[in-house]
Amino acid sequence: MTLSRRTFVKVGGAALALPLLGSRAFAQLEKVKIGFIYVGSINDNGYNYAHNQGRLYVEEQLGDKVETVFVENVPEGPDCERVLRELAQQGCNLIFATSFGFGDSVVKVAAQFPDIAFEHATGYMNGPNIGLYNARFYEGRAVCGTIAGHMSKTAKAGYIGSFPIPEVVMGINSFVLAARKVNPEFTIKPVYISTWNDPAKEADAARAMIDQGIDIIAQHTDGPAALQVAAERGIVGGFGQGADMSAFAPDTQLTAIIDHWGPHYLASAEAVLAGTWTPGNTWEGLKENVVQMGPYGEKVPEDVRAAADAVKNGQIDGSFHIFTGPIKDNTGTERVAAGVTMTDAELLSMDWYVEGVEQPA
Amino acid sequence: MQFRLEKRREPSKAMIYITPVVAVVLTMVVGALIFSLIGYDGIGAVREIFLTPLTNSYKWQDLGIKAAPLIIIGTGLSIAYRANVWNIGAEGQYVIGGLAGTGIALLTYGMTGWWILPLMVLAGILGGMAYAAIPALLRTRLKVNEILTSLMLTYASVQLIYYLIRAPWKDPMGMGFPQTRLFSEAARLPTIIPGTIVHLGVPIAIVVGIIAWFIMTRSVFGYRMRVVGAAPHAARYGGFSENKTIWLAMLVSGALAGLAGVLEVAGPFQRMVPGFPTNYGFTAIIVAFLGRLNPLGVIVAGVVLAITFVGGEVAQTTIGLPNAATGIFQAMMLFFLLAGDILIKYRLRRVAPQPSVGAA
Repeated sequence: MTLSRRTFVKVGGAALALPLLGSRAFAQLEKVKIGFIYVGSINDNGYNYAHNQGRLYVEEQLGDKVETVFVENVPEGPDCERVLRELAQQGCNLIFATSFGFGDSVVKVAAQFPDIAFEHATGYMNGPNIGLYNARFYEGRAVCGTIAGHMSKTAKAGYIGSFPIPEVVMGINSFVLAARKVNPEFTIKPVYISTWNDPAKEADAARAMIDQGIDIIAQHTDGPAALQVAAERGIVGGFGQGADMSAFAPDTQLTAIIDHWGPHYLASAEAVLAGTWTPGNTWEGLKENVVQMGPYGEKVPEDVRAAADAVKNGQIDGSFHIFTGPIKDNTGTERVAAGVTMTDAELLSMDWYVEGVEQPA
Repeated sequence: MQFRLEKRREPSKAMIYITPVVAVVLTMVVGALIFSLIGYDGIGAVREIFLTPLTNSYKWQDLGIKAAPLIIIGTGLSIAYRANVWNIGAEGQYVIGGLAGTGIALLTYGMTGWWILPLMVLAGILGGMAYAAIPALLRTRLKVNEILTSLMLTYASVQLIYYLIRAPWKDPMGMGFPQTRLFSEAARLPTIIPGTIVHLGVPIAIVVGIIAWFIMTRSVFGYRMRVVGAAPHAARYGGFSENKTIWLAMLVSGALAGLAGVLEVAGPFQRMVPGFPTNYGFTAIIVAFLGRLNPLGVIVAGVVLAITFVGGEVAQTTIGLPNAATGIFQAMMLFFLLAGDILIKYRLRRVAPQPSVGAA
């Protein structure tokens, strides 16, 4: 995977700091200062909230050996570049850029500050001082999809996506594959709203899809708006994304995918303190506890919980992989042969939908 | 005790120029108070937001590139607003300008030549103009309010970005992310100070402001705009066609918003992304008013607004002020300015309470 990504970056000619290639030794530190930038608000109770929980975890674990600063609501564009430079100039030794669209800015600023360690979440452009980290959210999606397949009465779910990037496409596909293992009639309709966090748009999309007959909703955006609409309209249920959102819709959240970034942030911080940090490329999931599942909602019956647990545990012990063939795409063409599991590189560039996904507009 | 607003016979000339300064100062004072009351270091907040970006020379480049689009768009809006033409959709014209420039950059991808950038800039200006022509046409032909149409067209323009970058213009190397490819070297705005991020758009913004000031004060065009806005009846009597003025105002403000858009996409962005619309077109409305609808004032106001953006981020990292604080400071500034305007035109007079009919 690493190799293919490297090749990819070179071919792409992305503004990679080629002159800086070569190994670099980072010095040992007494105290590490860490900067975080978030694309949304830390009060979104979802994705950004989860990253901020990770920041607090590091503070708690390292005590006075760490100082953290963060900037929230950073737009994915040149504004991000300025914020990154601000953090670099304030003496951060380690900077986490926590959204996909920060990539260009990270590449530019990292080249100007070769002594600072940068880590970019869910991205694909690495560099001599740019590490990548991601979580296998699709494993959690498979658990959610299993529950959806069992509980949906209309066999139709809605899915609110941000942007049609592989990260999101993979989640949709995992959800549908899992649901169709339970109910082969199951279909979903994804809607893309072109933002990570806009409660009004998320709620509108949720309402529109409920009017079209879905009774389960999932989302790959940052907040609980869709879940709240689901509760208000009394459909079967929805899922928390990024964090446990049961406080917003106690009877409606069936379970939640919880991003648990703390341990990764702690490991990177300790590596910077020890002077052993190198640009890594991690992609961990349920097994490593980076992805966690929230508690089941009260209305999830025992047999469904057992089925969901089986999918979860299968992914933890490695006996089950949601992207094992046969898998057909939504035009009916077989994409993955029986018994073959997709590689990480294939997953990370996924741009097609599996059977059961209505092609989004 | 009751108060009544009474029209002043002669608004004070001096006050017209003093109120923006008063508005900024009041914003600092009230801001410091509010944030102290809710438990932050209020004085520190004001210092970080308003002073640090000025005292820290490292921040000057950020101020320059943040202020440039605000000044260019604000200048165009100040001209239109002078003529009482309310173009609220500069954001949309900015987007279309950026898209037009992107179109040229993609068409010439991989080519070299000095002509590419000027062509992009021209396309951006024409794009912004064309987009502003729609509300102008609707207003002059069908009497449709330009505030509504220009504003709504903004949302349509954003959808156009999404359409283009998801399908025809999608970056073949972008891992499926909806964005165009990075422009080739010839389509990127050069930086003018080595070692900084200050691009050619910054001096262009200042030149635009100065030229606009010159035109507004020294030419028939400027006279027309000012007369139509200040005394529409007299203007009609004097032979200035109202429709022609609307067209001129919309096209000029659209052209400048389009120029800002193409400079922004060729400068800091260097590709079209979903995050391209960053509300410069809306913030420039505050800039135009804070600058007293005077292009030279707009240059200063653009820098003031840029300071609050840059300073807002400093305050987040140094004293943990929430991001929303920046918006609160900007809104307070506009509020105090508009309140000040009322008091320039009217005076507050205490009047005896009137006996109300039917009171027990």
